[in-house]
Amino acid sequence: MATNRDVLKFDIILFITTIALMVIGIFFIYSSGVNSAGISVSNEWIKQIIWVISSIVIIILFTIYDYAKFKLISFYIYIVMVLLLIFTLIFGNYVNGARSWLGIGPFGIQPGEFSKIALILYLGSFLDDNYKTIFTLKKFIQAIVIIAIPMLLILVQPDFGSAIVNVPIFLVMMFLAGARIKHLIYLIITGSLIIYLTALPAWSEYIAREEVLIINVLTQWATLKYVIAALILIILLSAAGLRFFKASYYYWIIYFTSSFTLALVGSIGGRLVLKGYQIMRLIIFIDPQVDPQGAGWNMIQSITAVGAGGIWGRGYLQGTQSHLQYLPQQNSDFIFSIFSEEAGFVGAIIVFALYILLLVRSLIVVDRANDRYGVAVGSGIIGMIFFHVIINTGMAIGIMPITGIPLFFLSYGGSSLWTASIGIGILLSIYQRRYRN
Amino acid sequence: MKGFLGSSSGSNVSRSRLIIVGAVFVFTFFIYLTHLFSLQVVNAVLYQKKARDVSERSDIIPAQRGKIYDRNYDNPLAMNIDSFAILVTPAEVQDRSIDELVDKISSIINISADELKRKIPRSTANKYQAVELVSGVSFENIAYIAEHIDEFSGVSWSSKPLRYYNMTGSISHIIGYIGGITSSELQVLYNQGYAYDSVLGKRGIEKQYDMILRGTNGRRIKTVDVKGRDIDREDLIEPPQNGMNIRLTIDRNIQELAEKALGPRKGSVVVLQPSTGEIVAMVSYPNFNPNLFSIPGPTNFGVLSLDPDFPFLNRAIQSQYAPASTFKLVLTTALLDTEAFDPERTITCTGELEIGNRITHCHKLSGHGPVNLQEALEQSCNIYFGTVGMEYLGIDVISQYARYLGLSSVTGIDLPGEVAGNIPTKAWKESVYNNTWQKGDTYNASIGQGFVTSTPLQVATEIAMIVNDGIAYRPHILKEVIDPISGEVHERIEKEILRTSPIKYETFQTLKEYMRSVVTDGTSNVVILNTQVDVAAKTGTGQAWGLNENWHSWFASFGPYETDNPDERYVVLTMVEASNEWEWWAPKAADIIYEGLFGNKTYEEVIRDFKKRRVWYAWDIPLEEDTDGNE
Repeated sequence: MATNRDVLKFDIILFITTIALMVIGIFFIYSSGVNSAGISVSNEWIKQIIWVISSIVIIILFTIYDYAKFKLISFYIYIVMVLLLIFTLIFGNYVNGARSWLGIGPFGIQPGEFSKIALILYLGSFLDDNYKTIFTLKKFIQAIVIIAIPMLLILVQPDFGSAIVNVPIFLVMMFLAGARIKHLIYLIITGSLIIYLTALPAWSEYIAREEVLIINVLTQWATLKYVIAALILIILLSAAGLRFFKASYYYWIIYFTSSFTLALVGSIGGRLVLKGYQIMRLIIFIDPQVDPQGAGWNMIQSITAVGAGGIWGRGYLQGTQSHLQYLPQQNSDFIFSIFSEEAGFVGAIIVFALYILLLVRSLIVVDRANDRYGVAVGSGIIGMIFFHVIINTGMAIGIMPITGIPLFFLSYGGSSLWTASIGIGILLSIYQRRYRN
Repeated sequence: MKGFLGSSSGSNVSRSRLIIVGAVFVFTFFIYLTHLFSLQVVNAVLYQKKARDVSERSDIIPAQRGKIYDRNYDNPLAMNIDSFAILVTPAEVQDRSIDELVDKISSIINISADELKRKIPRSTANKYQAVELVSGVSFENIAYIAEHIDEFSGVSWSSKPLRYYNMTGSISHIIGYIGGITSSELQVLYNQGYAYDSVLGKRGIEKQYDMILRGTNGRRIKTVDVKGRDIDREDLIEPPQNGMNIRLTIDRNIQELAEKALGPRKGSVVVLQPSTGEIVAMVSYPNFNPNLFSIPGPTNFGVLSLDPDFPFLNRAIQSQYAPASTFKLVLTTALLDTEAFDPERTITCTGELEIGNRITHCHKLSGHGPVNLQEALEQSCNIYFGTVGMEYLGIDVISQYARYLGLSSVTGIDLPGEVAGNIPTKAWKESVYNNTWQKGDTYNASIGQGFVTSTPLQVATEIAMIVNDGIAYRPHILKEVIDPISGEVHERIEKEILRTSPIKYETFQTLKEYMRSVVTDGTSNVVILNTQVDVAAKTGTGQAWGLNENWHSWFASFGPYETDNPDERYVVLTMVEASNEWEWWAPKAADIIYEGLFGNKTYEEVIRDFKKRRVWYAWDIPLEEDTDGNE
């Protein structure tokens, strides 16, 4: 194949969109470093330029490299990643309350960020190998185990946000790989219930402000053990019923009852793993006014910044919420807030349009993918990017709980930018090789 | 199966599932944009206000309260003295702990460190917020701190002027004082620009003309960052509008003369110009010193407000007494005006009178003998007036003439809290006591007792109306409102007719002749001894509830009796309560006032001259100069 033909095959739209978002990011990281007197007090924007340049190099390298070769080593990558996460858990540095950084001196990386790519590569390999039987429950559970290991390791750091990203990666990959809808829905229901039940005691304490009997029954071990025992009994009886009578409603009884049982057990684990402030973030998401000066402050100030932007924004470097430092972490987690304050609704439409373009273009890449591995890996990357964007911007505008998830391409930071760039590079690589036989 | 097995066009993926994923993405972004639209387009103004509120602090630039002057407009009676509040910004304290800093400040301003430390908030939440440590600090202390500011990092100050009254005592009843607004006052005044931390006039002129005196506070609007640090942006300044100065009709020299003439006796004095209604002096005893309210001890506000002598009561307008024999002026007016009884006809006073089955006595138990109207007024004969009141006038006419002369309604003086007194009628008694009017009630009313009550100012205004041949001007304290900077007169209070009456001109002429003869031939001829001015007057000696040996002592007078220039006339009304030791002091106080007023003398000079002239009642009056001389 001629080199110049390969260049013609290059997905220029995906590439340009990515670069555009990164440039916007540099501008607003600069803005976030400008203090109230109008003086730039941070050189993070310069660091970010370096990150962006290195990211472009990464994108090009991954585009040139044949993604299919990752399949051969994906298992080893996965193992190394799991070991790295364990290592981080033991020797890592605390950043924002989570033991999530590995580093020497000023240089550090977050293995949790790159673990997503490793997971995608290995799960893609698993799906490619098992494409004929992926609809079975057995394979579905095996796939769950693959994501559960890194996810739990990140969860105990504890980095709730980074851990939960693995779920949408898994869902999109499984969905496009042909898993059964009811399996996926089971997972969604159970996962939602776990979060809900985990936050329930805090909800009754901070929002309802009264003791609710049913909540006590479902959250205190003294009563909970009987509830779980009863639920397991129901499942066993229904299993027996299914075996002897083959009636489909037994199946659905098991389906929902076991989901609830798992969620109850999971919520016990959730309360053990999640720190108080993380549960508080869920509560704040329901009602930020519970603690407006404390845990709710970030969300209230962020919503105020976004709303104050209006249609056209307050102008570049003109946002008061950001430059008077009412906005916390405005260069990373809340970059979208400073952007919305200064660029307004029109700016937000532009950024969202860029992300939609990027995602739709990525879906087209997956559609054109030459092999199943490309489909699986590409869909994992799409799920990852989409979820990052949705959680981060949703947090800034108050419709998602606060998690420390960065906004890909815009937020300051090398680990997340490199992770996203590797994803884009792989997607471009898939597109590049769509015609080969 | 779907998924990897793909759809028709050779793809490795189910296109329908891809479309579902794409649709979910687009739909999610659409929801987000809807929410953003609600935040940034629909509610943008709300959030912009929130963003402004969170970062804007406005500091009040206090308006200076107007000064209060007497009619001489030279030295202020009420002024603002420089006073400062010391502020500490905890985050800016360097080189030492806050406790050490507070100890140092405490040693300079002489206030216990423990008290100051209580003002420092325990929480370190907002360390950039300046905390007011203490107010009322003198300029000297601030100057010291300013010179040594290196040792006082984190310390700042703001001007917080203190109201100071150069003259206190009886004038404090007129001027009043200021204080912090209470929650109930705020409820009423909220829409007039008062805030929870406003200071406002609580009594007297300070209260009456608070809106004129207070001015309008200015504001400095500054932008602060999340830590409360002031941002070096241009502050928006709304300059304050200082309050207007007030010039009173009071002459502080006459006020002082009247205050000393009354002396330490519970009672009141009113000196006014009948031709204008201007009050030149108004004394009420006991009084108070608002400069001392914050000092613990017997002058403390809390102690004074529980004092059974009611030092906060301005007795000239807020106490109503039986007007006693001064009320006989009303009967004389009625008799002369209605011609119901020939003034030359005599009634024989035997010293007692039988009304129904009850016997009343004249104050002269042996009786005045046969007296006509003029003699009855001179001698203040109860039997004469009781008889004509009951037999020839009746309560309807008496109360009618009392009303003509302004009794029973407020004078409308520009001081808060004036009371109206009472003139009874038959209907009034029936509605209040559920009892019919008795002849004895008319007798009591005729001699100014019973249900009749008046304030000293009402009686003074009554005399002024007699002096003016039937025109009463509204008594007032405010003379001019003056711009504090330009000195321009902003508003001048012109004389305003309070009341006229259908009473005949001749009636007043005769009445004034009679009043003159009260002094020359009547009850007070032994007391009115001043050589400056011819006085016309009526005395009053009133019974007070529960006191048999002592009487309310009234002296309602004007002088000079005859003049070509009505503006030089004054009404002097003195009233000494029955609760004092009986000295028949009211006419003596008035006599001293006339001597000082027309002789242009101070109280001390009057007494010294009286002693030289061997005025009998001045012999025992102590003079400070004498005691100083003896020691």
